[in-house]
Amino acid sequence: MKEKISQLMDGELASDDVARVFAALKSDREAIEAWRTYHLISDSLRDTRLVSRGFTERVAARLAEEPVVLAPARWARAARRLPRIAAAAASVMAAVAFVGWSVTALREPGSAAQFAQSPKPAAVVAGIPAPKEAAKEPVRAALPEGARDYLLAHQGYAPRYALQGYARTVSDIAGSRR
Amino acid sequence: MRFALGVWLALALGVPALAQPSEDAFALLRRIYQATEKLSYTGTFVTQQGDRVESSRITRYAGPGGEVERIEVLDGTPREVVRTRDTIKCYLPESRTVKVERRVDPRAFPALLPETFADLLRNYEVSRGETARIAGYDCESVVLTPRDDWRYGYQLWADTATGMLLRARTFNAKGETVEQFTFTQLAIGSVPREKLKPRYATRDWRIEQATVVPARLEEQGWRLGPELPGFRKIAEVTRRIGESAAVNQVVYSDGMAALSVFIEPASRRGERVRPGLASVGAVNIYTRQVADHVVTVVGEAPAASVQRLGNTVEYRRLGQ
Repeated sequence: MKEKISQLMDGELASDDVARVFAALKSDREAIEAWRTYHLISDSLRDTRLVSRGFTERVAARLAEEPVVLAPARWARAARRLPRIAAAAASVMAAVAFVGWSVTALREPGSAAQFAQSPKPAAVVAGIPAPKEAAKEPVRAALPEGARDYLLAHQGYAPRYALQGYARTVSDIAGSRR
Repeated sequence: MRFALGVWLALALGVPALAQPSEDAFALLRRIYQATEKLSYTGTFVTQQGDRVESSRITRYAGPGGEVERIEVLDGTPREVVRTRDTIKCYLPESRTVKVERRVDPRAFPALLPETFADLLRNYEVSRGETARIAGYDCESVVLTPRDDWRYGYQLWADTATGMLLRARTFNAKGETVEQFTFTQLAIGSVPREKLKPRYATRDWRIEQATVVPARLEEQGWRLGPELPGFRKIAEVTRRIGESAAVNQVVYSDGMAALSVFIEPASRRGERVRPGLASVGAVNIYTRQVADHVVTVVGEAPAASVQRLGNTVEYRRLGQ
């Protein structure tokens, strides 16, 4: 079972097995433990500091205090997508923040700032990674004035441009200015 | 260190595929970096960002007396960039302006740093890709597959003989190309130094100096964080942008991609702030206002990452 779980997290598990593993994860104590441990390892590899043992319990406790569900519709969809989402196996914390972000951002495009100070735990409920579609960004704006200047200022630092020179820096984006 | 521990843990506990870069692929990546530093060449490359295509000529000299790189954009408005180890000069003949960027902290600049590689391996899975023939060169490729959705993936093709980078592709989570650059013509070998001189005489041009000095934003009341997973702060400076007064800049990197957060007083900007998200190829730019300041995040990363980093910016008046 442990091997299956590991495969599931890597997105390598055959689809027939996926349902079985998820069923086991609902009841099998050992399987649940393995699932958590593997995520912990994966998180430590990614340097995600926020996730640790007991995280689920803490979230659950906070949830009990603040039981607001912001986007039930999204939820239903997320649940149906479970196998594919599992394949993504992104860190639980990242996923959690993702759901929180997308919900807030989609609903209140003008006040995305709010989220920075108070991520709504409600959106976190089960810690299921957000469907990729949820990553769609909200407000589209024209390029800010002086976008090229920002790019120039930025690119001296990007490791990638050590490889590729300053191609984009000089890009003709001045045309987008208004 | 932490990574090494992680690898050990992963191996000990039997989580495969999480932490083992293909040795061979990693060696190729190193070789590409080294070739980029060592080689002299001249060539023409095409960049494709979304549906925009643009070609440029590049000449690079590496030898006694340092390295110089000159890029002339061949399409649209003429522009030219000349880069040396410690300065970047951007020539804009239309507005008769030279933008000068001087490097203050060599640590913060792209180089072959061990920690850059450590970051890279933490955040990307490195593997071999398919071979190709590009601009007459037989190339091998390396694929950097992101370990999560906070970053894009990359595929780099390099000349088998020299390690020279011939093509780079940036792709999103769906595997779609968001940006690509590729050489259409390239000659590797000695380049006369005079080929590196900028085309323009700039005696009466306007010179915009971006005087960059180290800074500590926390001391001004700014707080950024929690940071984006996998990204580490690599620079924190105060600088000028265009003709602006002081602008704060904090740069984060994951070993491959980088994101900059710019913070400047709203009042000093000539126009109204338009909050929101814009993009140029793989670069997303997110703007929002915080405490009478404009926060602009620029990064070669998915929109969600750029926006998330922007939304972590907080201001607290000091002394409270």
